Amino acid sequence: MAETPSSSTIGESESQAYLPDFCATSTVFVIVLVAALVAIVLTLAGTAGSGRFLFELSKTALFVLWLALLGCGLMCLLRGKLEAAGKTRAFVLGFLILLAMCLLLAEVAYQLTRIFAESVIIHDSHSGFLLRTLLISAIVIALAMRYLYVSSEWRRSIVLEAQARISALQALIRPHFLFNSMNTIASLTRTDPRQAEEAVEDLSDLLRANLNTARDRTSLKQELETAAIYQRIEKLRLGDRLQVRWDISGLPMRALIPSLTIQPLLENAIYHGIELLPDGGEVVVTGKQDGNDLVVSMSNPVASDSERSKQGNRMAMSNIRQRFELAYGSRATVAVSDDEDRYTVSLRFPHEESET
Amino acid sequence: MKVLIVDDEKPARDRLRQLLDDLDEYTVVGEAGNGEEAVRLAAETNPDIVLLDIRMPGLDGIEAAHYLNEFDSPPAIVFATAYDEYAIDAFDARAIGYVLKPVRRERLARALEQAARLAAGTLADVAADSRLTSRRKHVCSRSQGEIKLIPLDEVNYFQADQKYVRVHHAGGQDLIDDSLKSLEREFADDFVRIHRGAVVAANKIERLAKSEDGKHHVVLRGGSQEPQNQLIISRRHLAEVRRRIKGG
Repeated sequence: MAETPSSSTIGESESQAYLPDFCATSTVFVIVLVAALVAIVLTLAGTAGSGRFLFELSKTALFVLWLALLGCGLMCLLRGKLEAAGKTRAFVLGFLILLAMCLLLAEVAYQLTRIFAESVIIHDSHSGFLLRTLLISAIVIALAMRYLYVSSEWRRSIVLEAQARISALQALIRPHFLFNSMNTIASLTRTDPRQAEEAVEDLSDLLRANLNTARDRTSLKQELETAAIYQRIEKLRLGDRLQVRWDISGLPMRALIPSLTIQPLLENAIYHGIELLPDGGEVVVTGKQDGNDLVVSMSNPVASDSERSKQGNRMAMSNIRQRFELAYGSRATVAVSDDEDRYTVSLRFPHEESET
Repeated sequence: MKVLIVDDEKPARDRLRQLLDDLDEYTVVGEAGNGEEAVRLAAETNPDIVLLDIRMPGLDGIEAAHYLNEFDSPPAIVFATAYDEYAIDAFDARAIGYVLKPVRRERLARALEQAARLAAGTLADVAADSRLTSRRKHVCSRSQGEIKLIPLDEVNYFQADQKYVRVHHAGGQDLIDDSLKSLEREFADDFVRIHRGAVVAANKIERLAKSEDGKHHVVLRGGSQEPQNQLIISRRHLAEVRRRIKGG
């Protein structure tokens, strides 16, 4: 059916990949480049005497590159484990591991130069060298981690936004609805051409409303009209089984709401509620103003034996939740109450009107 | 050829009737708005083919087909659906006839021509694959041409009775054609076998009791007066029954 679980799994795998792929050639190249730049900065800042710049640079670059490449290799090996540990922990752990590696390598470098070069390469004292390496690498690694963190957040928000758009699209054109409507129209063209005509017009309006999702938010009036058109089409198909009570006079019609939220809720109420009841039932839509918030609730009767309807409802709800979260953050809530015989969704969101 | 139309939506039924009227060799013998009505009407009108919508309230198409298939001379079945990708895959895999809504006349004609009776056991596979109905919600009993659907949640236990199975349920007892073995497999989530000849609804078991001769038996909820000797738990099944009662 339309509510395939694939969208949620894609979401998880995308949001998990917050560390870049350290094993990839492109990443290694960037790291080598950054390491070279760091070496140049360090040398520029450190050289006092002229003529020794290239010598100092090659020394520093050798050491920094060594650190950077080994760190890259280490992260390549550990990436899977770090990702599994969760976002914040992954970055903190990664930082500590890399720092420990730098310290260890600094010690190795110090010992090696002492044995083979008799200290002509490293002029510092032992502890001074270790401390300097530790501080410099801590700062550089922290900066790099911060950069990776911010860019992964940025990527995540893009994915979220794209998902919200896709779910907005999916929310309306549920194939089940489209094909059933077409079948109804095919039937009506013979029995009641006038009604068939209206149904085609209604369906077109509905599809047009869907194409306008470029606007994230629309007026309540518009959104409720779309839902009413949807109701008319479904009414042709379901006849008296579908009753809808609109109790929304308390709503300010100019207020804004994320587009295509009420209509999909009505669709859910019908698809997972009314359609599974032999005698149908009544969907109740209520709306009111509560302080600075608006509350819109939709409730539908559910078949007593129907586990699948509950599951379907949950999937569809995650779409709407996502879109409210994107539009309002924590200022909106989407609450679901799942009683024995009724399923109710309540949207609470701030009352805002467009400035124009 | 006699055709029975089953769909919960009137325009969809009208559409099928219009198309069948265009085709000379078929006569519509009835229209049913849900699965229960379909099974009843099919018993009355004895159609050659049943055109069956999948998604219907109450008894859905797959379950209704199951009972139609238990008739002495079962009708051929052609399913109709707007969009059920899993079900369609399942039908294709088993060469079961179906039409997609909006229904095309040529496609309907072809499906009706090729309509064949379903092989036994096919529907259980379809139900599992299609993710529409994981299992039946009723069992079906027939006596003297009367069809009776017994809701599964009213069943206390199934008991082997010669070549039939006797269903003990809230409304009494009835004989059904299913084998105890297939019932046990189909309803494994909710039923548990307690001995060779009985499968009991796990949520109807109040407790296990031990009689004076050291044999264990099941005590059912609601103080139903079942003779103890019928619900004796065999040694082989005791551990499993205990586990199920604890688990559920």
